[in-house]
Amino acid sequence: MKVVDTVVIGGGVLGCFVARNLMRWKISVVLLEEKNDVCMGVTKANTAIVYAGYDNQPGSLKAEMTVHGNEVFDTLCKDLEVPFLRRGSLMVGFGPQADKVMQKKFNHGIRNNVPGLRLISGKEACEMEPHLASGVTSALYAPTTGTVNPWQLGIAAYENAIQNGCDVWLKTKVIGIQKTEYGYAVETTKEFIECRAILNCAGLSADKIQELLFPPTVRLILDGSEFLVLDRHTATPEHIIFHESEEAGKGITAVPTVEGNLLLASSKRPMDGEYFSTSSKSMDRLRSIAADILPKVDLNQVIRSFGAVRPNPHWMVEKKGKLVPDGKSIGSFVIENPAPGFYSLIGIKTPGLTCADELGKYLADRTAEYLNALPNRGFNPKRQAIRAVRKMNFETRNSLVMRDPDYGDIVCQCEDISKAEILEAIRRGATSIAGVKYRVGVGMGQCQGSRCSQIISKLLEGARHELL
Amino acid sequence: MNYYEIVIVGAGAAGIAAAKSAYEAGCNSILLIDRKKEMGGILLQCAHRGFGSHLTGVEYTQKLLEQFPEKIQVLLDTTVLSISPDRTVILSGVAIGFRKVSFDQLIMATGCLEITLGSLPVAGTRPEGVYTAGQVQEMVNIYHQLPQGPVVILGSGDLGLIMAKQLVLEGIEVLAMVEKKPKCGGMARNQRCLSEYNIPLICSATVTKVLGEEYLTGVKVYNFHTEEEQVIPCKSLLVAVGLCPDQTLIYGLGTLNWIHLCGNCNVVHPMVDAVILEGQKAGITAWDKIQRGN
Repeated sequence: MKVVDTVVIGGGVLGCFVARNLMRWKISVVLLEEKNDVCMGVTKANTAIVYAGYDNQPGSLKAEMTVHGNEVFDTLCKDLEVPFLRRGSLMVGFGPQADKVMQKKFNHGIRNNVPGLRLISGKEACEMEPHLASGVTSALYAPTTGTVNPWQLGIAAYENAIQNGCDVWLKTKVIGIQKTEYGYAVETTKEFIECRAILNCAGLSADKIQELLFPPTVRLILDGSEFLVLDRHTATPEHIIFHESEEAGKGITAVPTVEGNLLLASSKRPMDGEYFSTSSKSMDRLRSIAADILPKVDLNQVIRSFGAVRPNPHWMVEKKGKLVPDGKSIGSFVIENPAPGFYSLIGIKTPGLTCADELGKYLADRTAEYLNALPNRGFNPKRQAIRAVRKMNFETRNSLVMRDPDYGDIVCQCEDISKAEILEAIRRGATSIAGVKYRVGVGMGQCQGSRCSQIISKLLEGARHELL
Repeated sequence: MNYYEIVIVGAGAAGIAAAKSAYEAGCNSILLIDRKKEMGGILLQCAHRGFGSHLTGVEYTQKLLEQFPEKIQVLLDTTVLSISPDRTVILSGVAIGFRKVSFDQLIMATGCLEITLGSLPVAGTRPEGVYTAGQVQEMVNIYHQLPQGPVVILGSGDLGLIMAKQLVLEGIEVLAMVEKKPKCGGMARNQRCLSEYNIPLICSATVTKVLGEEYLTGVKVYNFHTEEEQVIPCKSLLVAVGLCPDQTLIYGLGTLNWIHLCGNCNVVHPMVDAVILEGQKAGITAWDKIQRGN
């Protein structure tokens, strides 16, 4: 049996940031993740947007965290050496319904103190963004909206947490939680862990984890959406485009990512079949709307499509003696605190990525207060990224290859990624091709890994042998 | 910085032919570059016969190399990262490091890319077990690894048929080849394997959905005629829907009269003989240009 101060359940972007922020205090932590790597759940399929904060109800914790989270995002990404681009966003409408929504969001944005927010004419929007179709009736311009790669951000926080002393158990599932005199006992597929505090960031399973010990109060209802990724050699808009459809909640989103690919995201639809599965109907709809509103984007350049899952929290209500979800997705962040030292983040969806560090701080500070923990003066917020040859100038790259020929051995041709980078990704915890992809970006180009997967498999295999 | 009169990107059939013909025409400053450790390109992963009528791809490469002039400089294990309008290429390799090379004429012999599942409107999950046909060909013939059976193959072109036959011979069950068109897409000699090994061909149909969370468990096949959908449980899906010229290196460069495309990076050819001819032509054209001072 292991004894620690705090157990964090779930290694998604939120769990990683909770763990990172706990390290700011003198608290011993174990992060538990069911899979063999972090950021392999909801985090892996995300719109990659850092929101400006005009969508949220003024005065809410969500509004406050989004605006503040956005403001400090440059510093956060500088510390963690993660690429972040403030592309600015244009929410565009093509009719009176959308115009009304835009006005409302603008008012919210002003009350939320969103910097630089402007309600502009369709004409001005099209001048700012020549990719837009004509017929835009009004647009909401938010210069602070940005984009970050969600899994890169999560993995950076994870590495930073480890570097500051966080313990991690991968391939470890939580199967039971009991109350003890001292705090809690967490039963896992590995061994029991005694702890004083539990921070539940279990994503799609967060409701069930809480219900291992407490009566149900919130239940997650899942919905899905579709994503299309375009080859980065295709011309794309410069701004993040939110399409506000005349039919509420049916618009699409276009994001020029930090990698330079255009990411198109559909509106949400009810879950059908497996998690992370796409539906043809919704994909077709996404394509046809994208063709309408961004006519200059070449949709023949799609290189990948994938599905996302969104957990929507619903309050449980009693109906005919039974507890059932009330049918209304909760608008605010659900941060449950059913007993001292037990916190759950349940169904944190948009803008969870923007608020990941804010939510992490929030929970870590409360946990520290509960545990009477002292600040950890040795906390180092800085994490070093894997050195990417493609981002270097000629001289730097040349001298690096001289010192280590592995930097000259290009494995992923599409994205210009060297063997040395892949080996470093494996050293830092990648156990699968996906894990390597999430750390250094292999397989994200036109050939979608069909030319380099075999070489990467061999490198992974080699590393496994070395461990044995 | 190094200078060569002709730089050739890709040492497959087209690149080899281009180098040889330019050399024989009189050029003695040629650099032939390939990212792989051996010359031959895609031929090296072709264990089937049919090159120069009866040879395997590997045998055919040997034959090509027997007549290959020793004086041509060949740089293997080296990737061409970019081509710039000032007539330089940037190279990265284990042996040579990171380097800039300038040239007078450039021959692109980079072959083709396979169309992947990602670019097709196929719904479902993105599990392990989905490959392109050429990827499996490389897996089997170069890395000696087999995909898990049973297998479904999407597309019935030559590459799909060749892989169907090879997998059956390796003892892997090929449950179906799914073809969008009303009839098989490949050459007659490749089609023979369907009847010889009882490989079912489902025509006028396509894969509409991929199933399975972490690993592939099956595919949904939709028939355009009957308008029926059936699930075929399988562990691997080979995507063999087509090839497109790999011109990634010259994206955005526009037409430049010192760049010569040949082989599959120009147009995808069904036979290697046509690739060789185009390579030869490119070699001669490039040398002509040098002699005429452009």
